[in-house]
Amino acid sequence: MKWDKQQAVDVDTNRAGVAMTETMGTSEEKLRYLRTQLHRAMQLEHATIPPYLMALYSLKPGSNLDAQNILRVIVVEEMLHLTLAANLLNAVGGLPDLTVDGFVPRYPAPLPDGETAFTVNLAPFSPDTLETFLKIESPVPPAPDAALRGTRRVLYGALSSGLGSTTDEKRFATIGEFYRDIEATLNQLYEDMGPDRLFTGAVDRQVTSNYYYSGGGELFPVTDIASANRAIQLIVQQGEGYTESVHDAEGEIAHYYRFYQLKVGRYYQRNDPPDGPSGPPLDVDWEAVFPVGKNLSMDDYRHLPEVRHAAAAFNESYGSFLRLLTDAFNGRPQILSEAVPMMFRFRDKFLQLVHYPLPDGRHAAPTFEIGPRRCGP
Amino acid sequence: MMDEFSLPPTGAKSVPHPTATEGALRPTMAEFLAFSTDVTAFSRFELQGTGLAQVYLDKVVEVVGRDIVIRLFQAHARLPRTPPSDPEGRKAPSDPEGRRAQFRRSIFGDETLGPVARNIIKLWYVGVWYQLPPTWAEVNGVRAEDVTHTVSPEAYVEGLLWPAVGAHPPGAKAPGYGSWAAPPEIPKCSCEEHQHADHEGHADGLHERPSGTVF
Repeated sequence: MKWDKQQAVDVDTNRAGVAMTETMGTSEEKLRYLRTQLHRAMQLEHATIPPYLMALYSLKPGSNLDAQNILRVIVVEEMLHLTLAANLLNAVGGLPDLTVDGFVPRYPAPLPDGETAFTVNLAPFSPDTLETFLKIESPVPPAPDAALRGTRRVLYGALSSGLGSTTDEKRFATIGEFYRDIEATLNQLYEDMGPDRLFTGAVDRQVTSNYYYSGGGELFPVTDIASANRAIQLIVQQGEGYTESVHDAEGEIAHYYRFYQLKVGRYYQRNDPPDGPSGPPLDVDWEAVFPVGKNLSMDDYRHLPEVRHAAAAFNESYGSFLRLLTDAFNGRPQILSEAVPMMFRFRDKFLQLVHYPLPDGRHAAPTFEIGPRRCGP
Repeated sequence: MMDEFSLPPTGAKSVPHPTATEGALRPTMAEFLAFSTDVTAFSRFELQGTGLAQVYLDKVVEVVGRDIVIRLFQAHARLPRTPPSDPEGRKAPSDPEGRRAQFRRSIFGDETLGPVARNIIKLWYVGVWYQLPPTWAEVNGVRAEDVTHTVSPEAYVEGLLWPAVGAHPPGAKAPGYGSWAAPPEIPKCSCEEHQHADHEGHADGLHERPSGTVF
């Protein structure tokens, strides 16, 4: 299925991505570039998960059921997007690696693709946190929200990460645009190289729904240009969505609009315009939240051996979770079943920290400090 | 902390309801956790990690009254402590057996404090306040709130009995599809892990999980 150009918006903001693709040289260079960008896509999808989990687990039990449900659905879909990005990378002969230094950003951080207009925090659920989430998921062109309409975000192709920076000049307006550039590169390479030279990844490296149960939607193998385009479209449609319509063809609501419901306290129903949800009201209790410290680090626990011990154990097991995903994405998809109980154990460890009152009144939280600290962007 | 407390009137058998009690003393969270780590064999972090420490302390005070809770914690504070390390880091020999015996004598054997102490253990392990035995009410008076009840939905979910046996509470904390294929993970008694790390030094040799020898 081809990207729907009619729906896909805003030729102006698309220009930069197209321009960069045109200036690139040989097919080999373009393929290297595509693999790098797909790796960044994985990093980008993952980078939203710790902040979303932090907001989710800061909600006090028995309260904020609407927010809990919305956040949980979105996290599950981000996992699906991460897996689809890995399938895309595998399809074009790349080697997914979630253990590379810097894969997990140190929060507060711009989104890992170098978005500099705002930073993302590990913070409890709050109006501020929700605003950040709306910025992360902001559709193209931006937002039914007037406050966001003026915000023109710039995504730099060059990541502040250990993944190398071959495209320092590259700028995208939104995450959707970032993916559109990937799509343009992919389709151009398909025309230049043909399927046999582009889709060189072994099919058995693909993660399929045999190995991955998810309420987040269909997981499918990427083996040709059609399934590759479909994967990209699914990621963008479920994530940021489009400004024209709240619901996609399947009646699903994109993440931006899911969060927007929490902001305005009302659910969308079918055929609602983006700025006017008219469904049932939705309760948000901003007070029923554990006062988790913002962007806590191990240093904050230096005088609290028990907390330090628990936070270090969490980081260590999160590191092994990323290693397990890396193995699964490199030819052993069957071990993904082990990742499931692992994730549920995180939840329990996560909650234990979040329940813990620090001496200064804030609550503890995982720090997501994985691997050695980077020296700079 | 608890050692800074002055003693309450001893031998008081008829304790007025907390709402009728005047006085500045109130049982502290630190005392409650010190006592609870001893009787549950879970670490302070694990107890706080349930998110229910305050709820349980409030519950005990609500039902039996502040004065009895203060007496309980003070009796606990008077138990012989593990002597601190000397400047060269050598630990003086502790006397866990002696401490256990005294624990039994002055707390679990006490007609007022014993049932309350046991109820605190049950609170932590199953999240239920059990009605105190009739003999307790005969001595201390009937309390309106003293009926068997689950403290809150979370109290069931966070009961220590689940981690103690490496299981999850049925209907909550789902461990994920297929996890039943793996053997349960029974955690090591955290007191062993944390004894040396516990900066406030409540290591005392009482801990054994599952709880048992003391009671």
